[in-house]
Amino acid sequence: MVSDGRVVVVGGGHNGLVAAALLAKAGLRPLVLERRETLGGAAVTEEFHPGYRCSTVAHTAGPFRASLVQELGLGGDGLAFISPEPRVFAPLPDGRSVRLWGNAERSAGDIHRLSPRDAERYPAMARALAAVARVLAKALAATPPDVDHPRPRDLWPFLDVGLGLRRLDKGDALALMRWAPMAVADFAAEWFEAEPLRALVCGRGVFGCFAGPWSAGTTANLLLQAAAGGGDLVPTVLVRGGLGALTRALGDSAQRHGAEVRTGTEVERFLAENGTVTGVVLAGGEEIRARAVVSGLDPHRTFLRLLDPALLDPDELRRIRNYRIQGACAKVNLALSALPAFAAVKDEDPRALLGGRIHVGPDVDSIERAFDEAKYGGIARQPFLEATLPSLTDPSLVPPGAHAMSVHVQYTPYRLAQGDWPSRRAELLGIVLDRLEEYAPGLRGLVVGSQVLTPHDLEATYGLTGGHPYHGEHALDQLFFTRPLLGWGRYRGPLPGLYLCGAGTHPGGGVTGAPGANAAREVLRDLR
Amino acid sequence: MPGSTYDVVIVGGGHNGLVCAAYLARAGRKVLVLERRHVLGGAAVTEEVFPGFRFSVCSYVVSLLRPEIIRELDLPRHGLEILPLDGTFTPMPGGDYLWRMDDHARTRREIYRHSPVDAEAYDEYARAMADMARFVKPVLNMVPPDPLSVTGVARLLPMVQRFRALPRSQQHNLIQLMTMSAVDLLDQWFETDVLKATMSASGIIGTFLGVRSPGTAYVLLHHYMGEIDGAFRAWGIPKGGTGAISESIAAAAREAGVDIRTEAPVEQFMVREGRAVGVALSGGEEVKARTVVSCLDPHRTFLRMVEKGVLDDGFLGEVRRYKLRGSSGKVNLALDALPDFKSLPGAGPHLRGAISISPSVEYMERAYDDAKYGSFSRRPYVDIVIPSLSDPSLAPPGKHVLSCFVQYAPYHLREGTWDEKREAFGDTVVSTLCEHAPNLKDIILHRQVLTPLDLEREWGLTEGNIFQGELSLEQLFFLRPVPGWARYRTPVRGLWMCGSATHPGGGIMGAPGRLAALEMLKDGRW
Repeated sequence: MVSDGRVVVVGGGHNGLVAAALLAKAGLRPLVLERRETLGGAAVTEEFHPGYRCSTVAHTAGPFRASLVQELGLGGDGLAFISPEPRVFAPLPDGRSVRLWGNAERSAGDIHRLSPRDAERYPAMARALAAVARVLAKALAATPPDVDHPRPRDLWPFLDVGLGLRRLDKGDALALMRWAPMAVADFAAEWFEAEPLRALVCGRGVFGCFAGPWSAGTTANLLLQAAAGGGDLVPTVLVRGGLGALTRALGDSAQRHGAEVRTGTEVERFLAENGTVTGVVLAGGEEIRARAVVSGLDPHRTFLRLLDPALLDPDELRRIRNYRIQGACAKVNLALSALPAFAAVKDEDPRALLGGRIHVGPDVDSIERAFDEAKYGGIARQPFLEATLPSLTDPSLVPPGAHAMSVHVQYTPYRLAQGDWPSRRAELLGIVLDRLEEYAPGLRGLVVGSQVLTPHDLEATYGLTGGHPYHGEHALDQLFFTRPLLGWGRYRGPLPGLYLCGAGTHPGGGVTGAPGANAAREVLRDLR
Repeated sequence: MPGSTYDVVIVGGGHNGLVCAAYLARAGRKVLVLERRHVLGGAAVTEEVFPGFRFSVCSYVVSLLRPEIIRELDLPRHGLEILPLDGTFTPMPGGDYLWRMDDHARTRREIYRHSPVDAEAYDEYARAMADMARFVKPVLNMVPPDPLSVTGVARLLPMVQRFRALPRSQQHNLIQLMTMSAVDLLDQWFETDVLKATMSASGIIGTFLGVRSPGTAYVLLHHYMGEIDGAFRAWGIPKGGTGAISESIAAAAREAGVDIRTEAPVEQFMVREGRAVGVALSGGEEVKARTVVSCLDPHRTFLRMVEKGVLDDGFLGEVRRYKLRGSSGKVNLALDALPDFKSLPGAGPHLRGAISISPSVEYMERAYDDAKYGSFSRRPYVDIVIPSLSDPSLAPPGKHVLSCFVQYAPYHLREGTWDEKREAFGDTVVSTLCEHAPNLKDIILHRQVLTPLDLEREWGLTEGNIFQGELSLEQLFFLRPVPGWARYRTPVRGLWMCGSATHPGGGIMGAPGRLAALEMLKDGRW
């Protein structure tokens, strides 16, 4: 047990709650401060239209780290993860489709219709990816080593990673080093010839990033997701009741273990005395002293808004300002009177095909061209979309017979060359509906209500600076021990008393709980 | 000569092959170099393309030639003389220009004209880059270790130690440099668009990447490491063209006892019981040797020169995966007079340096966008030099040779063939230049257009890649050319690699040839 004294967790997102729950379990009585009335940050279930609920921002779990479910007793709260089959369904303009399933052989069977050669190669790719991902997964669960004074304690897990590498087939081991910096389009082309399958792979590489399939390093993003997802190329995990059910369970667990949670409580700034963070000041002016402040907010919010910049040295200030956090994603949530009819769903039962991710991005060029437009500050005319129909696996989210469609939209740059987001919201909705209409004719007619979350909204409502879903770009120079910055990669900022636990830390974005869990471990090391 | 056997036969008389030969011969080995063409030098070659006009046909500037090679092979004594290439002149559409000179004070004033802030940052940036170059340079003289072996890791540790010894800001810069895009990196330093555009250009030369593609910042450094007499970032043009470099190396090699044969195309490497035993020439002649060194790229070396069945599919798969994908072409012009730039008229000293058509970051990025979808840039990035200004011997009196390095020109066109598009490509380049120097179209006497396909056909650069393979992170250091075979050896005993496709890569550097030779000499097995 640790001595008395408060630990304040700023931000009740999934990582903040994971950190709080683990700290509470260890005997600290953390106080979680959430600006919004609802807990969960970007992992929330909200009623976006009367009678219609869905995971309004993130719509799939990262996947969430399984060990945390046991450790925090989340299962007890009736929390249920859903692994839909197929994992992903990709309709094509010509009425064909690609489906990937939990089972590689079954996926290969479907791929055979596109390309017998690819069908042959798919299991090999799945095997190599799984092998590499298993090794990588160990690195995700570890705290990056201290560059200046590496301690054996910190290096040990990576020795384990190194041994894991050496145990791998030499080809796989070198593949990991070769793949990470590669453009995902190259990775896809190395394995497959069928354009739709290549595009599907590219979708995993660019998802959430301001990068296109031909941008170097996008394979690293694919590897991160695969590592978190037990080695699957397309890990797809939904939560019954939406992602809000997960964060609610986390909040309950935290409180059960002794944490205090205050919603509707905005932190205005951090308190600091002679170079040490000693607490927080609330919007109302109330001061809360703490022996440790753990920030679940993104690095820019944490260091450039809540912290007095004067406390950072000019070089640190320059470096954190240059941390790349411009997002290019938006979210469109649709209330539908019925299940949309995808042209690619022929005489099969649509319910058996549309339960997972629906990937709209039929070829690599179309995704790259969409990125090109965003590159120059425009909204992609033909965006890359990833939709889910959570109401298929959980009807309780919507009125009987109706459906909710959650659509992740890329590319929509936070900084527009023309106009501003509030004035272009309707335009974005039109673009997304047109794109969906191409694949599900008549969908427009089913729309009874909609919610459009532009990058601007993601920032204003959910506190995602720059509208970036990952709290900062997943780029090689912003991952691992350089996330968010070299020297700040161990969940500690430059000031004693201030810790980071958000997606802006290793291993990055996605509803995995990993940053929160790693951060809690570091906080406990210091406070014990 | 023919019939007799050699210790080593080197296939390909490019600058790396010649360097490798010279070092092996100086160590007492009996060496033969076989060059397919009538002239030595590979892509570092000077040819009289039109009567009286001599061009550095392919590679046109020197900056990376390793000083230890110049020293150890005593190249100046063998005729190497490098003339300075003063500064970079970047004309802008609006009638303005950016002219960076080797004269620091004047460059500073020039940049100040565009942005006082950038003038400040420029010095800091130069210092930072010099620091990075100093850190990375030793890697150029290092045989890549095997990261999966204990000894390999041990050999990497000193680098880790050196990294840890750096100040935090330099560690930070270095990591960004190795992973970021040229523009993202430059955005952190500068605000002037044209300055960022023209600087980022050196980050994309020879790669199939755009200035905003992650990984290009490194290539930016690769070019920054250029040095002449120890001066960083000094580019130069060899007297007599880049062929003069190859000639001087060849002279050093001959002096050391190397036999060199031109117009001796090799048909196949002879392999017996998994061991290289010599080469077979097209004529049917066979040359026996205990060691065969290939200066060719991996595709040529392993997919063409080694007969089927010798190499296992796993390795061949890695070789096929190796990305060459040429992205540039070359246009050589014989001129009746000097081009006259709208933004800075007259035959001033600005023509003596490099002239860079890179007016804005968006211009550069859009040039790349065209190439991504399989067509040459409608408005390409062009790097121009007029070597006859500093070396009149290259052209008849009063006349000039102008060489244009042009990017992007993708080897794989989505529509049509390069044979159909060659002249259209040439026209595009000329009209691009004419937008800045309208008189050019009236002073062109002759025009030579080299597409990636031509570079492949005539100079053996597969897919027209000037670096024998992209300088992208996954193809560098212990991953170059293919994982597990970065130490100049190949799966065939007695067959070695020494071309730009091996560490540390392309450019008239000579380092691969030298490192390969030293590694061979260390290797007891032959």
